[in-house]
Amino acid sequence: MSTPARKRLMRDFKRLQQDPPAGISGAPQDNNIMLWNAVIFGPDDSPWDGGTFKLALQYSEDYPNKAPTVRFVSRMFHPNIYADGSICLDILQNQWSPIYDVAAILTSIQSLLCDPNPNSPANSEAARAFSENKREYNRRVREIVEQSWNAD
Amino acid sequence: MENQDEIPVEPETESSTFISAYEDDDWSNYKDSDVMLQQSAIWEEDAAKSPFVGDKEPLSSLEAEYKSGSPILLEKIKVLSEHYAAIRRTRGDGNCFFRSFMFSYLEHLLESQDVAEVERIKRNVEKCRKTLQGLGYADFTFEDFFALFIEQLESVITGNEAPISHDELVVRSRDQSVSDYVVMFFRFVTSGEIRKRSEFFEPFIFGLANSTVEQFCKTSVEPMGEESDHVHITALSDALGVPIRVVYLDRSSCDSGGVSVNHHDFVPACDEVDKASTSSSGSETNPFIVLLYRPGHYDILYRK
Repeated sequence: MSTPARKRLMRDFKRLQQDPPAGISGAPQDNNIMLWNAVIFGPDDSPWDGGTFKLALQYSEDYPNKAPTVRFVSRMFHPNIYADGSICLDILQNQWSPIYDVAAILTSIQSLLCDPNPNSPANSEAARAFSENKREYNRRVREIVEQSWNAD
Repeated sequence: MENQDEIPVEPETESSTFISAYEDDDWSNYKDSDVMLQQSAIWEEDAAKSPFVGDKEPLSSLEAEYKSGSPILLEKIKVLSEHYAAIRRTRGDGNCFFRSFMFSYLEHLLESQDVAEVERIKRNVEKCRKTLQGLGYADFTFEDFFALFIEQLESVITGNEAPISHDELVVRSRDQSVSDYVVMFFRFVTSGEIRKRSEFFEPFIFGLANSTVEQFCKTSVEPMGEESDHVHITALSDALGVPIRVVYLDRSSCDSGGVSVNHHDFVPACDEVDKASTSSSGSETNPFIVLLYRPGHYDILYRK
């Protein structure tokens, strides 16, 4: 069945294939365009460099008027990412707008990795390390990067 | 957001999450998304009480609302009732300006069957499309919203067939899949106009929100539910070439003793408007869209 949400997601997918931004990739599952898998590569020249982080995006029929639910599947250590992988990012919550396609969402999350927002901590340990002990923070991030190579 | 006294939960919840997340790890179980889910549940419950666009009510219903309230307001409503006969309320969900504009505009077209106006606005809509393209927006992110607005225009002025009924217009305005798309269309148009003329809007935005044009569009125009201010109204009016009158109902009073109700006409600055009829001192503009502004909220007014 072709609903406005599904039609839009097809166009999101086409655009992502034709013009993929650097360091991200994503595709809907074979039998379900409402459920996407994506990978974000850790930005160069950052402690995240070399990491490959998996995410799941769940869309509803309210898309593009409502944001998808986005969650890291890979384990993360980041001030704005909860233990269950969900992400505290304004554009996924109250600042959502239909101008964000899959590529824009993933790009925003990618830049969040290196540029945490200390005003909305989701992981207090990571938030504290980020603001008080950068060395420890970077060490924990490197651990997460290494884990990302081994995980399924 | 709007009608702040009706949602006292929001600021408290936010700040306590913020502070406690540092102090107490248990709080990290309460995610922003949970808080927002709860918040939107409260809103939805509240909003369910009033449709996106209400029924036309006599102005006396406004008076009844302030029965035991400020005498200045009652006085002003009396003045208002000399010129206006009715009010149509819109839901206070942050989209009330756009929603009021939508209904008021489409209702005017339906009643006037002004074919020339439809042709004119379609040309402006095409310009808005080019503006967004020029700003680098991907077509597929906004084209559905544009298409839906054009569809609404064509359903109120159909040419040969009979247009939709007035009741059908009300039904559509209350249907989220139509109403929210049209609101979003206006948000795109408004954002495009502000970005295109960023030099013009910059000082107003700086005064209003202390932010850059880019930030303002991203956080206060493009997301649904963000309230509108004079910057939004100016931009939308200019982009579509539609004048808008806003009548202000607040507690301010003038020194001269007599109570008067202020209004401001937003007159499009674009070249499409017939300059002679708007700028010459003798002839006053008379916008067919009249909105009633009470601090934080817009509704639709009907002239006598």
